[in-house]
Amino acid sequence: MSTAMNFSSKSFRPRAPDKGSFPLDHFGECKVFKDTFMQCLRGNSFDNSKCRLQSKDYLECRMDNQLMAREPLEKLGFKDIMDEPSSEKPESKPSGQ
Amino acid sequence: MLLPVILRECCSKHGLQVATSARSCIRTLSWRELHSIPGSSLLRREGSRPLHSFKEAFLLRRAPPRLHLQSRGAKTRKSHKQAQEEEWRQRNKTALTYIAAAGVGMIGMSYAAVPLYRLYCQATGLGGTAVAGHDTEQVANMTPIKERVIKITFNADTHASMQWNFRPQQTEIYVVPGETALAFYRAFNPTDKPVIGISTYNVVPFDAGQYFNKIQCFCFEEQRLNPKEEVDMPVFFYIDPEFDQDPRMARVDTITLSYTFFEAKEGMALPVPGYS
Repeated sequence: MSTAMNFSSKSFRPRAPDKGSFPLDHFGECKVFKDTFMQCLRGNSFDNSKCRLQSKDYLECRMDNQLMAREPLEKLGFKDIMDEPSSEKPESKPSGQ
Repeated sequence: MLLPVILRECCSKHGLQVATSARSCIRTLSWRELHSIPGSSLLRREGSRPLHSFKEAFLLRRAPPRLHLQSRGAKTRKSHKQAQEEEWRQRNKTALTYIAAAGVGMIGMSYAAVPLYRLYCQATGLGGTAVAGHDTEQVANMTPIKERVIKITFNADTHASMQWNFRPQQTEIYVVPGETALAFYRAFNPTDKPVIGISTYNVVPFDAGQYFNKIQCFCFEEQRLNPKEEVDMPVFFYIDPEFDQDPRMARVDTITLSYTFFEAKEGMALPVPGYS
């Protein structure tokens, strides 16, 4: 793994996640959202940018079911798709470049 | 010792007081009379020189002429030696002071080395402790860089004695820096006993690992699976937008995220990484 023993080489140091660890979803409360997300990914050849709405839905489900600490969605990087709370299109509009 | 005896004899013979000059007293002493004094055999030591002068020198408490080649001043000689010793002592003291100061300095440096080395590593990125933590406010403000598409591949491992079935739910995902992404792993406990697992992760290439920021995942904490239970484990992450500006990352198109699960024994804890 990261056992590079030479001083000058950079080795990998794992870092703790910013917001800690997800509690396990033992009861499958958000399984539906996950399945939707996975279907979207498979349909779009695993392009994450196209499935951001589904990932936002999954995280919201987690927050609703006490499986994640509630955070405003901007802090999770969903600022661009927050502006349209109910969007019919599955694609997300990026906030300008 | 001989002198008081001789003086007594001499003065008694001539009826003189002891206070008068011993020299005149002794001069009148003849050799023969001297011999008669008990203990005078000491005078008959060396025969080469006229004993008269030797006797005189000895009795008058002058040093015999042939010993003591240095001329004068036992006192000045002694003070010379003292001054020299004094100087040596002074020099020794100075040297010892310097050495003691150097010793204390070394001890102080070895204590100071710990935080200094940490700062050095953070500044230069050696030893992998690059970028002293990233700004968590950054997530809210970053803009995705749409041109740079990176492929993230996923790998899942378990320790040999860990019986879970652990695998990723997607083999790869295409992300851009500055955009948060979600990925899933799945774990299944085929045994009949609850098993507690704890995981760590690795990112290759190592240099790119510093730009790989996880917002939330399932690592470094104990996760318990009941018998025959299957769960989805999400990883929520993003690639730092500075990835695009780093010249060393110019040719990096694929990043591999690899998780490894271990079985957590009672009282065992994986140390959460990081210096602070």
